[in-house]
Amino acid sequence: MADIQEDDDLVFHKICALLEPLNHKGVKLTRDTDLVADLEIDSVSVLDIVMDIEDNYDLSIPVNTISETRTIGELVDAIHALKKQQA
Amino acid sequence: MSLFDKFQKNAVLYNALSEAGRNPFTVQMDEILGPTRAIVKGKEIVLAGTNNYLGLTFREEVVSAAQAAVAEQGAGTTGSRFANGTYASHKALERALAAFLGFSRCIVFSTGYQANLGAISALAAPGKDVIFIDADCHACIYDGCQLSGAETVRFRHNSPEDLDRRLSRLDGDEKYAGMGKLVCIEGMYSMFGDVAPAKEFLDVARRHGAYLFVDEAHSFGVYGESGRGVVEAQGVIDEIDFYSGTFSKSLVSIGGFVASNHPELDYLRFSARPYMFTASPSPANVAAATAALQCIAAEPDLRKRVWANARRVHEAFTQLGLETCAPPGPVIAVKLPDRETAFAAWSFLIDKGVYVNLAIPPGTPNAASILRLSVSAAHTNDDLDIVIDAYGAMAETFAQARVTA
Repeated sequence: MADIQEDDDLVFHKICALLEPLNHKGVKLTRDTDLVADLEIDSVSVLDIVMDIEDNYDLSIPVNTISETRTIGELVDAIHALKKQQA
Repeated sequence: MSLFDKFQKNAVLYNALSEAGRNPFTVQMDEILGPTRAIVKGKEIVLAGTNNYLGLTFREEVVSAAQAAVAEQGAGTTGSRFANGTYASHKALERALAAFLGFSRCIVFSTGYQANLGAISALAAPGKDVIFIDADCHACIYDGCQLSGAETVRFRHNSPEDLDRRLSRLDGDEKYAGMGKLVCIEGMYSMFGDVAPAKEFLDVARRHGAYLFVDEAHSFGVYGESGRGVVEAQGVIDEIDFYSGTFSKSLVSIGGFVASNHPELDYLRFSARPYMFTASPSPANVAAATAALQCIAAEPDLRKRVWANARRVHEAFTQLGLETCAPPGPVIAVKLPDRETAFAAWSFLIDKGVYVNLAIPPGTPNAASILRLSVSAAHTNDDLDIVIDAYGAMAETFAQARVTA
Protein backbone atom coordinates (compact mmCIF):
# COMPACT_ATOMS: atom_id res chain seq x y z
CA MET A 1 0.00 0.00 0.00
CA ALA A 2 2.80 2.36 0.91
CA ASP A 3 4.43 1.67 -2.45
CA ILE A 4 1.32 2.53 -4.41
CA GLN A 5 0.88 5.71 -2.39
CA GLU A 6 4.45 6.77 -3.11
CA ASP A 7 4.18 5.93 -6.78
CA ASP A 8 0.98 7.96 -6.92
CA ASP A 9 2.74 10.97 -5.44
CA LEU A 10 5.62 10.64 -7.90
CA VAL A 11 3.30 10.62 -10.91
CA PHE A 12 1.34 13.52 -9.44
CA HIS A 13 4.49 15.58 -8.87
CA LYS A 14 5.82 14.78 -12.31
CA ILE A 15 2.61 15.98 -13.95
CA CYS A 16 2.62 19.13 -11.82
CA ALA A 17 6.20 19.83 -12.91
CA LEU A 18 5.17 19.50 -16.57
CA LEU A 19 2.13 21.75 -16.04
CA GLU A 20 3.88 24.46 -14.04
CA PRO A 21 5.24 26.38 -17.10
CA LEU A 22 1.64 26.69 -18.34
CA ASN A 23 0.21 27.67 -14.94
CA HIS A 24 0.17 31.37 -15.77
CA LYS A 25 -2.35 32.29 -13.06
CA GLY A 26 -0.33 30.57 -10.33
CA VAL A 27 -3.17 28.21 -9.38
CA LYS A 28 -2.35 25.75 -6.57
CA LEU A 29 -2.20 22.37 -8.29
CA THR A 30 -4.19 19.56 -6.66
CA ARG A 31 -5.74 16.32 -7.86
CA ASP A 32 -8.97 18.27 -8.44
CA THR A 33 -7.41 20.97 -10.63
CA ASP A 34 -9.22 21.04 -13.99
CA LEU A 35 -6.74 21.45 -16.86
CA VAL A 36 -9.05 23.46 -19.09
CA ALA A 37 -11.34 25.25 -16.63
CA ASP A 38 -8.80 26.09 -13.90
CA LEU A 39 -5.52 26.33 -15.81
CA GLU A 40 -7.05 27.56 -19.08
CA ILE A 41 -4.78 25.27 -21.07
CA ASP A 42 -6.04 24.81 -24.63
CA SER A 43 -6.82 21.39 -26.04
CA VAL A 44 -3.68 21.24 -28.20
CA SER A 45 -1.43 22.07 -25.24
CA VAL A 46 -3.06 19.30 -23.21
CA LEU A 47 -2.16 16.86 -25.99
CA ASP A 48 1.42 18.21 -26.03
CA ILE A 49 1.74 17.63 -22.27
CA VAL A 50 0.44 14.10 -22.71
CA MET A 51 3.25 13.51 -25.24
CA ASP A 52 5.80 14.62 -22.65
CA ILE A 53 4.22 12.28 -20.11
CA GLU A 54 4.36 9.41 -22.61
CA ASP A 55 8.07 9.97 -23.13
CA ASN A 56 8.74 10.42 -19.43
CA TYR A 57 7.19 7.04 -18.60
CA ASP A 58 7.97 5.34 -21.94
CA LEU A 59 4.26 4.71 -22.16
CA SER A 60 1.68 4.94 -24.93
CA ILE A 61 -1.32 7.12 -24.02
CA PRO A 62 -3.73 7.08 -26.97
CA VAL A 63 -5.56 10.38 -27.56
CA ASN A 64 -8.92 8.62 -27.04
CA THR A 65 -8.09 7.39 -23.54
CA ILE A 66 -7.50 10.91 -22.27
CA SER A 67 -10.29 12.70 -24.11
CA GLU A 68 -12.51 12.17 -21.05
CA THR A 69 -9.78 13.28 -18.66
CA ARG A 70 -10.43 16.68 -17.11
CA THR A 71 -8.49 16.87 -13.85
CA ILE A 72 -4.91 16.19 -12.77
CA GLY A 73 -6.17 13.34 -10.57
CA GLU A 74 -7.90 11.67 -13.51
CA LEU A 75 -4.70 11.98 -15.53
CA VAL A 76 -2.69 10.39 -12.70
CA ASP A 77 -5.18 7.51 -12.50
CA ALA A 78 -5.12 7.02 -16.29
CA ILE A 79 -1.33 6.80 -16.27
CA HIS A 80 -1.41 4.21 -13.47
CA ALA A 81 -3.92 2.12 -15.39
CA LEU A 82 -1.85 2.27 -18.58
CA LYS A 83 1.42 1.53 -16.72
CA LYS A 84 -0.17 -1.57 -15.25
CA GLN A 85 -1.57 -2.62 -18.61
CA GLN A 86 1.63 -2.00 -20.58
CA ALA A 87 3.97 -3.39 -17.89
CA MET B 1 -26.12 25.21 -16.80
CA SER B 2 -26.59 26.86 -20.17
CA LEU B 3 -25.75 25.15 -23.44
CA PHE B 4 -23.81 28.25 -24.34
CA ASP B 5 -21.52 28.54 -21.29
CA LYS B 6 -18.75 26.57 -22.96
CA PHE B 7 -18.42 29.15 -25.74
CA GLN B 8 -17.77 32.03 -23.34
CA LYS B 9 -13.99 32.00 -23.33
CA ASN B 10 -13.62 32.09 -27.10
CA ALA B 11 -16.61 34.41 -27.44
CA VAL B 12 -14.78 37.04 -25.37
CA LEU B 13 -11.81 36.85 -27.76
CA TYR B 14 -14.02 36.88 -30.85
CA ASN B 15 -16.04 39.86 -29.63
CA ALA B 16 -12.89 41.74 -28.68
CA LEU B 17 -11.67 41.41 -32.26
CA SER B 18 -14.98 42.67 -33.61
CA GLU B 19 -14.97 45.64 -31.25
CA ALA B 20 -11.44 46.53 -32.34
CA GLY B 21 -13.03 47.36 -35.68
CA ARG B 22 -11.93 44.47 -37.83
CA ASN B 23 -12.43 40.80 -37.18
CA PRO B 24 -10.02 38.69 -39.26
CA PHE B 25 -12.47 35.81 -39.01
CA THR B 26 -15.42 37.68 -40.52
CA VAL B 27 -13.81 39.43 -43.49
CA GLN B 28 -16.30 39.68 -46.33
CA MET B 29 -15.10 40.00 -49.91
CA ASP B 30 -17.77 42.15 -51.56
CA GLU B 31 -16.51 41.86 -55.10
CA ILE B 32 -13.95 39.48 -56.57
CA LEU B 33 -11.98 41.30 -59.25
CA GLY B 34 -9.68 38.44 -60.22
CA PRO B 35 -7.49 35.73 -58.71
CA THR B 36 -5.46 38.24 -56.68
CA ARG B 37 -7.77 41.23 -56.14
CA ALA B 38 -11.04 41.88 -54.31
CA ILE B 39 -13.07 44.74 -52.91
CA VAL B 40 -13.44 44.77 -49.12
CA LYS B 41 -15.43 47.58 -47.51
CA GLY B 42 -15.23 49.63 -50.68
CA LYS B 43 -11.45 49.31 -51.03
CA GLU B 44 -9.42 47.25 -53.48
CA ILE B 45 -7.08 44.83 -51.74
CA VAL B 46 -4.44 42.35 -52.85
CA LEU B 47 -5.42 38.78 -51.93
CA ALA B 48 -2.40 37.13 -50.33
CA GLY B 49 -4.24 34.84 -47.94
CA THR B 50 -6.10 32.44 -50.20
CA ASN B 51 -5.05 28.95 -51.31
CA ASN B 52 -5.19 29.87 -54.99
CA TYR B 53 -1.58 28.75 -55.45
CA LEU B 54 -1.69 28.38 -59.23
CA GLY B 55 -4.13 31.27 -59.71
CA LEU B 56 -6.58 29.37 -61.93
CA THR B 57 -9.87 30.62 -60.42
CA PHE B 58 -10.64 32.85 -63.41
CA ARG B 59 -8.95 30.84 -66.17
CA GLU B 60 -11.09 30.81 -69.29
CA GLU B 61 -10.88 27.01 -69.73
CA VAL B 62 -11.90 26.42 -66.12
CA VAL B 63 -14.77 28.91 -66.02
CA SER B 64 -16.22 27.84 -69.37
CA ALA B 65 -16.00 24.14 -68.43
CA ALA B 66 -18.00 24.87 -65.26
CA GLN B 67 -20.55 26.91 -67.22
CA ALA B 68 -21.00 24.16 -69.81
CA ALA B 69 -21.43 21.53 -67.08
CA VAL B 70 -24.22 23.52 -65.42
CA ALA B 71 -25.98 23.88 -68.78
CA GLU B 72 -25.60 20.21 -69.69
CA GLN B 73 -25.90 18.40 -66.33
CA GLY B 74 -27.79 20.86 -64.15
CA ALA B 75 -26.96 22.87 -61.03
CA GLY B 76 -26.66 20.01 -58.55
CA THR B 77 -26.77 16.21 -58.42
CA THR B 78 -29.30 15.96 -55.55
CA GLY B 79 -27.82 12.58 -54.70
CA SER B 80 -24.89 10.89 -52.97
CA ARG B 81 -21.93 9.16 -54.60
CA PHE B 82 -23.14 5.86 -53.09
CA ALA B 83 -26.79 5.97 -54.03
CA ASN B 84 -28.05 8.32 -56.69
CA GLY B 85 -25.48 11.02 -57.41
CA THR B 86 -22.60 9.46 -59.37
CA TYR B 87 -22.35 10.91 -62.88
CA ALA B 88 -20.02 9.96 -65.71
CA SER B 89 -18.12 13.19 -64.94
CA HIS B 90 -17.31 12.01 -61.38
CA LYS B 91 -15.89 8.75 -62.72
CA ALA B 92 -13.95 10.53 -65.49
CA LEU B 93 -12.35 12.84 -62.92
CA GLU B 94 -11.42 9.84 -60.75
CA ARG B 95 -9.68 8.26 -63.76
CA ALA B 96 -7.96 11.53 -64.70
CA LEU B 97 -6.61 12.04 -61.16
CA ALA B 98 -5.43 8.42 -60.89
CA ALA B 99 -3.67 8.70 -64.27
CA PHE B 100 -2.06 12.04 -63.40
CA LEU B 101 -0.79 10.76 -60.06
CA GLY B 102 0.15 7.28 -61.29
CA PHE B 103 -2.17 5.34 -58.98
CA SER B 104 -4.44 2.53 -60.09
CA ARG B 105 -7.55 4.03 -58.52
CA CYS B 106 -9.06 7.16 -57.00
CA ILE B 107 -12.25 8.11 -55.19
CA VAL B 108 -13.80 11.57 -55.42
CA PHE B 109 -15.45 13.01 -52.29
CA SER B 110 -17.55 16.16 -51.87
CA THR B 111 -14.89 18.14 -49.98
CA GLY B 112 -11.25 17.72 -49.03
CA TYR B 113 -12.33 17.60 -45.39
CA GLN B 114 -14.62 14.67 -46.16
CA ALA B 115 -11.94 12.85 -48.18
CA ASN B 116 -9.72 12.60 -45.09
CA LEU B 117 -12.64 12.16 -42.71
CA GLY B 118 -14.10 9.37 -44.86
CA ALA B 119 -10.91 7.54 -45.70
CA ILE B 120 -9.36 7.54 -42.23
CA SER B 121 -12.59 6.72 -40.40
CA ALA B 122 -13.24 3.78 -42.74
CA LEU B 123 -9.66 2.46 -42.88
CA ALA B 124 -9.19 2.17 -39.12
CA ALA B 125 -11.53 0.37 -36.75
CA PRO B 126 -11.64 0.38 -32.92
CA GLY B 127 -9.88 -2.58 -31.36
CA LYS B 128 -8.49 -3.67 -34.74
CA ASP B 129 -6.21 -0.85 -35.81
CA VAL B 130 -4.08 1.97 -34.36
CA ILE B 131 -3.60 5.35 -36.06
CA PHE B 132 -0.42 7.41 -35.69
CA ILE B 133 -0.77 11.08 -36.62
CA ASP B 134 1.69 13.93 -36.89
CA ALA B 135 0.92 16.37 -34.07
CA ASP B 136 0.41 19.21 -36.59
CA CYS B 137 -2.05 17.35 -38.81
CA HIS B 138 -5.13 19.24 -40.01
CA ALA B 139 -8.39 19.07 -38.04
CA CYS B 140 -9.98 16.77 -40.64
CA ILE B 141 -7.36 14.10 -39.89
CA TYR B 142 -8.02 14.42 -36.15
CA ASP B 143 -11.75 14.24 -36.84
CA GLY B 144 -11.26 11.18 -39.05
CA CYS B 145 -9.45 9.46 -36.19
CA GLN B 146 -12.22 10.35 -33.78
CA LEU B 147 -14.94 9.15 -36.15
CA SER B 148 -13.06 5.87 -36.67
CA GLY B 149 -13.04 5.18 -32.93
CA ALA B 150 -9.60 3.58 -33.29
CA GLU B 151 -6.85 4.30 -30.76
CA THR B 152 -4.87 7.29 -31.96
CA VAL B 153 -1.28 8.13 -31.04
CA ARG B 154 0.24 11.54 -31.80
CA PHE B 155 3.91 11.79 -32.72
CA ARG B 156 6.10 14.89 -32.71
CA HIS B 157 5.80 17.04 -35.79
CA ASN B 158 7.98 16.02 -38.73
CA SER B 159 10.00 13.60 -36.58
CA PRO B 160 10.39 10.11 -38.09
CA GLU B 161 12.54 9.21 -35.04
CA ASP B 162 9.67 10.04 -32.72
CA LEU B 163 7.23 8.00 -34.83
CA ASP B 164 9.71 5.12 -34.69
CA ARG B 165 9.82 5.38 -30.88
CA ARG B 166 6.02 5.42 -30.56
CA LEU B 167 5.57 2.52 -32.96
CA SER B 168 8.24 0.59 -31.05
CA ARG B 169 6.37 1.08 -27.77
CA LEU B 170 3.45 -0.89 -29.16
CA ASP B 171 5.55 -3.51 -30.96
CA GLY B 172 6.26 -5.38 -27.73
CA ASP B 173 2.74 -5.02 -26.33
CA GLU B 174 0.54 -8.09 -26.57
CA LYS B 175 -2.59 -5.97 -26.71
CA TYR B 176 -1.54 -4.60 -30.08
CA ALA B 177 -0.27 -7.84 -31.61
CA GLY B 178 -1.71 -8.33 -35.10
CA MET B 179 -3.39 -4.93 -35.21
CA GLY B 180 -3.29 -2.79 -38.37
CA LYS B 181 -1.26 0.43 -38.22
CA LEU B 182 -1.98 3.57 -40.19
CA VAL B 183 0.45 6.52 -40.20
CA CYS B 184 -0.93 9.92 -41.31
CA ILE B 185 1.20 12.86 -42.40
CA GLU B 186 0.78 15.86 -44.69
CA GLY B 187 2.99 16.88 -47.61
CA MET B 188 3.18 20.60 -46.87
CA TYR B 189 1.61 21.87 -43.64
CA SER B 190 -0.79 24.74 -44.25
CA MET B 191 0.03 27.01 -41.32
CA PHE B 192 3.85 27.24 -41.37
CA GLY B 193 4.39 25.95 -44.92
CA ASP B 194 6.93 23.38 -43.78
CA VAL B 195 7.34 20.08 -45.58
CA ALA B 196 7.36 16.49 -44.25
CA PRO B 197 10.36 14.19 -44.65
CA ALA B 198 8.07 11.71 -46.41
CA LYS B 199 10.81 9.30 -47.45
CA GLU B 200 12.04 8.90 -43.87
CA PHE B 201 8.47 8.45 -42.64
CA LEU B 202 7.93 5.77 -45.29
CA ASP B 203 11.06 3.92 -44.11
CA VAL B 204 9.86 3.95 -40.49
CA ALA B 205 6.33 2.91 -41.45
CA ARG B 206 7.60 -0.01 -43.53
CA ARG B 207 9.95 -1.16 -40.78
CA HIS B 208 6.96 -1.50 -38.45
CA GLY B 209 4.56 -2.93 -41.02
CA ALA B 210 2.44 0.23 -41.05
CA TYR B 211 0.55 1.84 -43.95
CA LEU B 212 1.40 5.44 -44.91
CA PHE B 213 -1.33 7.99 -45.69
CA VAL B 214 -0.17 11.35 -47.07
CA ASP B 215 -2.43 14.40 -47.34
CA GLU B 216 -1.14 16.61 -50.16
CA ALA B 217 -4.00 19.15 -49.97
CA HIS B 218 -1.67 22.15 -50.06
CA SER B 219 1.23 20.65 -52.02
CA PHE B 220 -0.67 19.08 -54.95
CA GLY B 221 0.07 21.04 -58.13
CA VAL B 222 2.89 22.99 -56.52
CA TYR B 223 5.58 20.52 -55.38
CA GLY B 224 7.31 17.89 -57.51
CA GLU B 225 8.60 17.88 -61.06
CA SER B 226 5.10 17.42 -62.51
CA GLY B 227 3.08 18.88 -59.62
CA ARG B 228 2.28 15.58 -57.94
CA GLY B 229 3.25 16.87 -54.54
CA VAL B 230 5.90 16.43 -51.87
CA VAL B 231 5.94 12.65 -52.30
CA GLU B 232 6.86 13.14 -55.96
CA ALA B 233 9.57 15.66 -55.04
CA GLN B 234 11.03 13.10 -52.61
CA GLY B 235 10.71 10.19 -55.03
CA VAL B 236 8.30 8.05 -52.99
CA ILE B 237 4.93 8.63 -54.67
CA ASP B 238 4.94 5.06 -56.05
CA GLU B 239 5.52 3.56 -52.63
CA ILE B 240 3.04 5.29 -50.33
CA ASP B 241 -0.27 3.56 -49.59
CA PHE B 242 -2.78 6.41 -49.71
CA TYR B 243 -2.60 9.87 -51.29
CA SER B 244 -5.32 12.40 -50.43
CA GLY B 245 -5.97 15.82 -51.87
CA THR B 246 -8.50 18.58 -52.29
CA PHE B 247 -10.04 20.46 -55.20
CA SER B 248 -10.15 23.70 -53.22
CA LYS B 249 -6.55 24.83 -53.53
CA SER B 250 -4.63 24.43 -56.81
CA LEU B 251 -7.68 22.81 -58.46
CA VAL B 252 -9.76 25.95 -57.65
CA SER B 253 -13.06 24.15 -57.07
CA ILE B 254 -14.52 22.26 -54.11
CA GLY B 255 -14.25 18.53 -53.48
CA GLY B 256 -11.55 16.05 -52.51
CA PHE B 257 -10.06 12.71 -53.38
CA VAL B 258 -8.10 9.72 -52.15
CA ALA B 259 -5.90 7.68 -54.51
CA SER B 260 -4.11 4.38 -53.98
CA ASN B 261 -2.67 1.30 -55.65
CA HIS B 262 -4.47 -0.96 -53.19
CA PRO B 263 -7.44 -2.51 -55.05
CA GLU B 264 -9.26 -2.53 -51.70
CA LEU B 265 -9.54 1.27 -51.82
CA ASP B 266 -12.87 0.72 -53.57
CA TYR B 267 -14.25 -0.80 -50.34
CA LEU B 268 -14.44 2.77 -49.03
CA ARG B 269 -17.33 3.34 -51.42
CA PHE B 270 -19.57 1.22 -49.19
CA SER B 271 -17.82 1.94 -45.87
CA ALA B 272 -16.91 5.63 -45.67
CA ARG B 273 -19.90 7.43 -44.22
CA PRO B 274 -18.74 10.92 -45.34
CA TYR B 275 -18.78 9.50 -48.91
CA MET B 276 -22.07 7.66 -48.64
CA PHE B 277 -24.29 10.05 -46.75
CA THR B 278 -23.75 13.41 -48.42
CA ALA B 279 -24.48 14.87 -51.85
CA SER B 280 -21.86 14.34 -54.55
CA PRO B 281 -19.92 17.33 -55.89
CA SER B 282 -21.96 19.44 -58.31
CA PRO B 283 -21.33 19.13 -62.08
CA ALA B 284 -19.80 22.62 -62.15
CA ASN B 285 -17.38 21.74 -59.33
CA VAL B 286 -16.33 18.53 -61.06
CA ALA B 287 -15.90 20.23 -64.44
CA ALA B 288 -13.82 23.07 -62.95
CA ALA B 289 -11.52 20.62 -61.14
CA THR B 290 -11.16 18.52 -64.29
CA ALA B 291 -10.26 21.57 -66.39
CA ALA B 292 -7.83 22.87 -63.75
CA LEU B 293 -6.15 19.44 -63.63
CA GLN B 294 -5.61 19.64 -67.40
CA CYS B 295 -4.00 23.09 -66.99
CA ILE B 296 -1.70 21.77 -64.25
CA ALA B 297 -0.64 18.80 -66.36
CA ALA B 298 -0.05 20.90 -69.48
CA GLU B 299 1.58 24.01 -68.00
CA PRO B 300 4.72 23.55 -65.91
CA ASP B 301 5.07 27.33 -66.18
CA LEU B 302 2.39 27.73 -63.50
CA ARG B 303 4.70 26.04 -61.01
CA LYS B 304 7.69 28.06 -62.13
CA ARG B 305 5.75 31.27 -61.55
CA VAL B 306 4.46 30.39 -58.07
CA TRP B 307 7.97 29.35 -57.01
CA ALA B 308 9.60 32.50 -58.45
CA ASN B 309 7.01 34.59 -56.59
CA ALA B 310 7.55 32.61 -53.38
CA ARG B 311 11.30 33.09 -53.51
CA ARG B 312 10.93 36.82 -54.15
CA VAL B 313 8.59 37.36 -51.17
CA HIS B 314 10.57 35.11 -48.84
CA GLU B 315 13.84 36.89 -49.63
CA ALA B 316 12.22 40.31 -49.16
CA PHE B 317 10.80 39.30 -45.77
CA THR B 318 14.16 37.95 -44.63
CA GLN B 319 15.78 41.25 -45.61
CA LEU B 320 13.14 43.12 -43.60
CA GLY B 321 14.27 41.13 -40.55
CA LEU B 322 11.01 39.20 -40.23
CA GLU B 323 11.01 35.68 -38.83
CA THR B 324 9.62 33.22 -41.38
CA CYS B 325 8.52 29.76 -40.27
CA ALA B 326 9.93 27.68 -43.15
CA PRO B 327 12.17 27.87 -46.24
CA PRO B 328 10.65 29.52 -49.37
CA GLY B 329 7.38 27.92 -50.49
CA PRO B 330 3.83 28.88 -51.44
CA VAL B 331 2.94 29.52 -47.78
CA ILE B 332 5.07 32.14 -46.07
CA ALA B 333 4.21 32.54 -42.42
CA VAL B 334 5.73 35.33 -40.33
CA LYS B 335 5.97 34.72 -36.60
CA LEU B 336 5.01 37.53 -34.23
CA PRO B 337 5.75 37.68 -30.52
CA ASP B 338 2.15 37.48 -29.28
CA ARG B 339 -1.50 37.45 -30.22
CA GLU B 340 -1.98 41.21 -29.71
CA THR B 341 0.93 42.20 -31.96
CA ALA B 342 -0.20 39.70 -34.58
CA PHE B 343 -3.72 41.14 -34.60
CA ALA B 344 -2.44 44.74 -34.75
CA ALA B 345 -0.08 43.81 -37.60
CA TRP B 346 -2.90 42.02 -39.45
CA SER B 347 -5.12 45.13 -39.16
CA PHE B 348 -2.22 47.32 -40.29
CA LEU B 349 -1.75 45.19 -43.41
CA ILE B 350 -5.40 45.20 -44.42
CA ASP B 351 -5.43 48.97 -44.02
CA LYS B 352 -2.49 49.01 -46.44
CA GLY B 353 -4.57 46.97 -48.89
CA VAL B 354 -3.10 43.52 -48.25
CA TYR B 355 -5.18 40.57 -47.10
CA VAL B 356 -3.35 37.73 -45.33
CA ASN B 357 -4.49 35.26 -42.66
CA LEU B 358 -4.17 35.81 -38.93
CA ALA B 359 -3.59 32.51 -37.15
CA ILE B 360 -3.45 32.31 -33.38
CA PRO B 361 -3.46 29.56 -30.73
CA PRO B 362 -5.02 27.02 -30.42
CA GLY B 363 -5.28 26.97 -34.23
CA THR B 364 -1.51 27.02 -34.62
CA PRO B 365 1.32 24.69 -33.58
CA ASN B 366 3.57 25.61 -30.63
CA ALA B 367 1.14 28.33 -29.50
CA ALA B 368 2.55 30.61 -32.22
CA SER B 369 0.83 33.78 -33.43
CA ILE B 370 1.45 34.16 -37.14
CA LEU B 371 0.54 36.07 -40.25
CA ARG B 372 0.07 33.45 -42.95
CA LEU B 373 0.64 34.67 -46.48
CA SER B 374 0.07 32.51 -49.53
CA VAL B 375 1.68 33.20 -52.87
CA SER B 376 -0.06 32.64 -56.20
CA ALA B 377 1.26 32.08 -59.70
CA ALA B 378 -1.24 34.79 -60.63
CA HIS B 379 0.37 37.45 -58.42
CA THR B 380 1.82 40.13 -60.69
CA ASN B 381 4.95 42.08 -59.87
CA ASP B 382 2.65 44.98 -58.94
CA ASP B 383 0.74 42.77 -56.52
CA LEU B 384 3.96 41.64 -54.86
CA ASP B 385 5.34 45.21 -54.72
CA ILE B 386 2.24 46.20 -52.74
CA VAL B 387 2.61 43.17 -50.42
CA ILE B 388 6.33 43.72 -49.78
CA ASP B 389 5.91 47.48 -49.25
CA ALA B 390 3.09 46.84 -46.76
CA TYR B 391 5.19 44.32 -44.83
CA GLY B 392 8.09 46.80 -44.87
CA ALA B 393 5.89 49.48 -43.31
CA MET B 394 4.56 46.90 -40.84
CA ALA B 395 8.11 45.95 -39.80
CA GLU B 396 8.88 49.67 -39.25
CA THR B 397 5.75 50.23 -37.17
CA PHE B 398 6.04 47.05 -35.09
CA ALA B 399 9.71 46.87 -34.18
CA GLN B 400 8.98 43.79 -32.08
CA ALA B 401 8.09 41.93 -35.30
CA ARG B 402 11.72 42.01 -36.40
CA VAL B 403 14.22 39.43 -35.19
CA THR B 404 17.14 41.01 -37.02
CA ALA B 405 17.79 44.69 -37.76
